[in-house]
Amino acid sequence: MSVKKFITDVKNYLGLDDFKKSGKKKSIKRLLEKLKARKEILDKTPRKNLNKKELKALKEEQAIITLQIKKGEKILDELNAESHKDSKKLKGEKNGKK
Amino acid sequence: MLRRIFLPSILIVLAYGFWISPDFKEISAGVAIFLFGMISLEEGFKAFSGGTLERILQKSTNKLYKSIGFGFVTTAIMQSSSLVSVLTISFIGAGLIGLTQGIGIILGANIGTTTGAWLMAGFGLKVKISAYAMPMLVFGVILIFQKAKSLKGIGYILTGLGFLFLGIHYMKEGFEAFKNTIDLASFAVDGFKGLMIFIGIGVLATVVMQSSHATIVLILAALAVGQITYENALALTIGANIGTTITAIIGSLSSNIDGKRLAAAHFIFNVVTATIAVLLMDQMIVSVDAISDFLGIANDNHTLKLAVFDSLFKIIGVLMFIPFVDKLVKFLQTKLKPSAVSEAKSFDTVKYLNDSVLETSMTAMAAIKKETKHLYDNAFEIITHGLNIKRSNILSDMPLEEVVKDSYSQSAIDIDDFYHHKIKGIYGEIIDFSTKAQSQMAHEEIEELYKIKLANRDIVEAVKDTEHLQKNLVKYSKSTNTHIKSEYNSMRKDLAELLRTINLIAMSDQEDEILLLLSKAKVHTERYDIIANGKLDNLIRNRLISNEMATSLMNDSGYAYNISANLIAMAEIIYVTDNSEMIIEEEEVKEILNQKDEQ
Repeated sequence: MSVKKFITDVKNYLGLDDFKKSGKKKSIKRLLEKLKARKEILDKTPRKNLNKKELKALKEEQAIITLQIKKGEKILDELNAESHKDSKKLKGEKNGKK
Repeated sequence: MLRRIFLPSILIVLAYGFWISPDFKEISAGVAIFLFGMISLEEGFKAFSGGTLERILQKSTNKLYKSIGFGFVTTAIMQSSSLVSVLTISFIGAGLIGLTQGIGIILGANIGTTTGAWLMAGFGLKVKISAYAMPMLVFGVILIFQKAKSLKGIGYILTGLGFLFLGIHYMKEGFEAFKNTIDLASFAVDGFKGLMIFIGIGVLATVVMQSSHATIVLILAALAVGQITYENALALTIGANIGTTITAIIGSLSSNIDGKRLAAAHFIFNVVTATIAVLLMDQMIVSVDAISDFLGIANDNHTLKLAVFDSLFKIIGVLMFIPFVDKLVKFLQTKLKPSAVSEAKSFDTVKYLNDSVLETSMTAMAAIKKETKHLYDNAFEIITHGLNIKRSNILSDMPLEEVVKDSYSQSAIDIDDFYHHKIKGIYGEIIDFSTKAQSQMAHEEIEELYKIKLANRDIVEAVKDTEHLQKNLVKYSKSTNTHIKSEYNSMRKDLAELLRTINLIAMSDQEDEILLLLSKAKVHTERYDIIANGKLDNLIRNRLISNEMATSLMNDSGYAYNISANLIAMAEIIYVTDNSEMIIEEEEVKEILNQKDEQ
């Protein structure tokens, strides 16, 4: 067994690549939580007391946050799909060896 | 000059010693192998310093006791206080930790070095450790030849330990054989005179070997075979502790002012501790005896008692210094100041880039990032002056309409002169330093560095565009034509808003806030583009401005747009640490603008 293969096997066994991915997932999840909380506050802001300029700024902020949430959820889905694929591949390899 | 005399003299003395005494040759070879082992061990640990060690250092040094703990643990594991000192100087140089934390690490490292004496006295002298050395060397060398960085690192650590053990073995053998020809113990000097002479020898030996660890091991080897007396060994240990600060001082010469302050703190700490140990020598010996009794160490086991003494006097020193760390920091900050030469010439120079931060790729990257922020601070000053706006107003809560009204100067400032004094030199140094740092970086890090270099270029371009913009801005912001005046003032207002936003981003530690502010800045830049939003067409069509004004406005709005785009691109690279893919892109900005138009 070559050294490279040995390192890859150890990495797979310890799940080091997954560790990196799960770190990224956690970070995106945390960011999404914050963005959603921010959006909730904006949605609940009473518009009656706002002047035209303030209302414009509020709508702009809402539009940006909505877009960012959408973007974040897409990234999270992609990460989930990737780790699902990886775990399937690993299971397949293990079964093959048996 | 000193080095020219010093080095040949040492070589001549050693050569003469080897010629007259084969035993001396064996001891010296032992020291040389031991020192080579330490170099190899440091090299091995450096292979693992590409992130983990730095992350631990950053997280575990926020409190003084944590810094001390970190210094102790890392030195005990790596058996090298000099590697810990060099890393600490490097971190201070890059601005990642402060002087107080740095002093804490050095205090902890001082206690950490005592573990070496315990290992040597308790294990190294009793067991035939050369038997462990050989397999370690064989396995180590095989691993060094591997391509993987981590395997190479383990290889260097094993080889380092192997050489350390082999060095100790030769020192032990050498002293035992030496005893048959010359009894060094007959040169022992009693009393205060002896204390001072042997402290001097300890300092000299450590300066020559550049390692207090090696000196203490040598002392223990000599003490174990009775070649030196116990009292003289205590004095040599104190000397070794003073000598080790010389290594730190030499290491700090290439560092910034905080690195020099840290070396000074190290020197003060070790000299004061040594003075106290000398003054209270009798009491210390009594205490060592009492502790040794308590630990069950035999009265004639001088090597272990030396380890007790080494630990006792270093722990007492640290405990004594802890209440004065803040005062020491203040003292060093007032006594050691950066050289005033650069300020006198009013040419701003780099703050964070020095050879000490090149120790690890992480500190080099952090220093380059910090220097880029420094470059931006200078650019911020120039851009605000170019826009004829006061910096303090941008940094305040003052409404932007008022910020624009409160002009900085009645006439145009010389941006080119500012550029030469505050941008050009620093920019050049950042690029030059990046090239040097790149040689030790991994592929991913080189990509990150490339982005930082782009951010620097963005800053420089923003300054250059401000210079172009300023020519008409001063002229038209006072024009009698209210339309052109209003356009130029709104250009100033938009850029002032962007500078304020970037300042908020720089101050914030909330990722969502940073992303939101950057996205807003992007949307505003597109919205305020008067060529795209049709405002310019309207002014020309209705003949509200002359042709000359229209041409100027068209060119200058282009410059203003470029300044905004460059500053936003810079902020994206410098201030967004994680999840940069969450920043909205050009297409999405258009989507938001279209949504607003529909509303």
